[in-house]
Amino acid sequence: MNTQNLIRPALANSLGSALAVSLFAVVAVTPAKAAGVDAGTLIENTATATYVDGTGPQTVDSNTVSVRVDELLDVTVTSLDAGPIGTATGDEVLTFEITNQGNGPEAFELTAEPAVAGNDFDTTVDGIAVDTNGNGTYDPGVDQILTAPETTAVLDADETLTVFVLVTVPASATDTQESDVELTVEAVTGTGAPGTSFAGQGVSGGDAIVGTTGADATATGSLLVGITTVDLVKSVTIVDPFGGTSAVPGSVVTFTISAEVVGSGSVDNLIVTDAFPADTTYVAGTLTLAGGALTDASGDDAGEATATGISVDLGTVAGGTTQAITFDVTID
Amino acid sequence: MKLLGKICAALMVIAIPAAPAFAQDNAIELSGDVMAVKSSTDAAGNETTELVEPTVIVPGDRLIFGTDYTNSSDETVTNFVVTNPLPSAVALAVDADPALIVSVDGGQNWGVLSALTVSSEDGASRSAQHADVTHVRWTLASVAPGESGRLEYPAIIR
Repeated sequence: MNTQNLIRPALANSLGSALAVSLFAVVAVTPAKAAGVDAGTLIENTATATYVDGTGPQTVDSNTVSVRVDELLDVTVTSLDAGPIGTATGDEVLTFEITNQGNGPEAFELTAEPAVAGNDFDTTVDGIAVDTNGNGTYDPGVDQILTAPETTAVLDADETLTVFVLVTVPASATDTQESDVELTVEAVTGTGAPGTSFAGQGVSGGDAIVGTTGADATATGSLLVGITTVDLVKSVTIVDPFGGTSAVPGSVVTFTISAEVVGSGSVDNLIVTDAFPADTTYVAGTLTLAGGALTDASGDDAGEATATGISVDLGTVAGGTTQAITFDVTID
Repeated sequence: MKLLGKICAALMVIAIPAAPAFAQDNAIELSGDVMAVKSSTDAAGNETTELVEPTVIVPGDRLIFGTDYTNSSDETVTNFVVTNPLPSAVALAVDADPALIVSVDGGQNWGVLSALTVSSEDGASRSAQHADVTHVRWTLASVAPGESGRLEYPAIIR
């Protein structure tokens, strides 16, 4: 027993220095982290003196002083949306990225606040989901929805996590209204003024210290309602064979369909179709869009004329624009 | 178990003073210490710094590593050189004495920092920075009997 006890300190010392060497080696090859050296890292310092005395060259080491790096609690969160998300009423997804700016592993509690000063309307928060498959896009049924209190898994130092705030835009929202949603992220260990200390709650039983971020952060995601409508107005002019405007057999009837898109958003795949009236015959080659002629054939341009009517594909049309389509028929 | 623990503790206590007993064979004794520098600003806006025990330290904090030396023999020693490898978790503070002799290559080449260069992997060479320093070194031509002194360098936790 005594023998074992006697050798124990020596063994412990050699293990300690071996550990220290390996720790430092890891630090040396790892790129510098934003948050600095990892919590729990031992900093050990030993000086060595060489000199010459009466018996020749000598070497002596100092004692080794050792301090352990404590855990710094820091976090940032940013909106990954390029700007306000254009939305209609219904479900919408806001995307945020959380970064553990501290130097140790830490989990974070998330709070989404839909009632933000200046909002034209408030959304309803349906949940917060984690980008489980890491593709940056919310995938229902794949990306895990957090349960209250919404808390992330433990993130390593410098690790980032993408989260989604799932909201519902109320039916009462109207075109051009805006609404912000705030996501607040707080270190689970604790938050507070920079320098606030949580004794014994850091890595390896060390202390956890609140860093410059206060160990909490807030980012804002924005929604912009774009409700867009399409108004079609059809008008007609008639030229009869005698230079008048009577609707008689042989009169040429020009129909004009004005497609007006109203609202701040845009509409996709806007296709305008119109059937030829009974007892009329389409005048081949008279289909126009915005003053330019379109062929009657299908596929070569935006428009086509068939035996029964015309069809013009306007594609994606921004709000605030009006396009006119015309075609001629003769009265049989 | 308690008794065993006490025996063990007693042996540990004995073992620690035993180490310097061997060191008495050396003419020079070295004693290292480390302190943290904490700065605070009072109500009048004056910044004061004080040295405190490094009980709580985080990246960015400033440490002072010190080594006290004493010639406890009755003869003068010569060519006294104290070499201190920097722990890799710290960087030499930028306000360290510019005349300090340092190495940026693990102790192969020495000089004042402004005279040293670092070559990168692509072969290019640049001026050495404080963060490149791997070792610091002090040289004294001689230390008389009974003479003592203190050597310090400031460092920032990376």
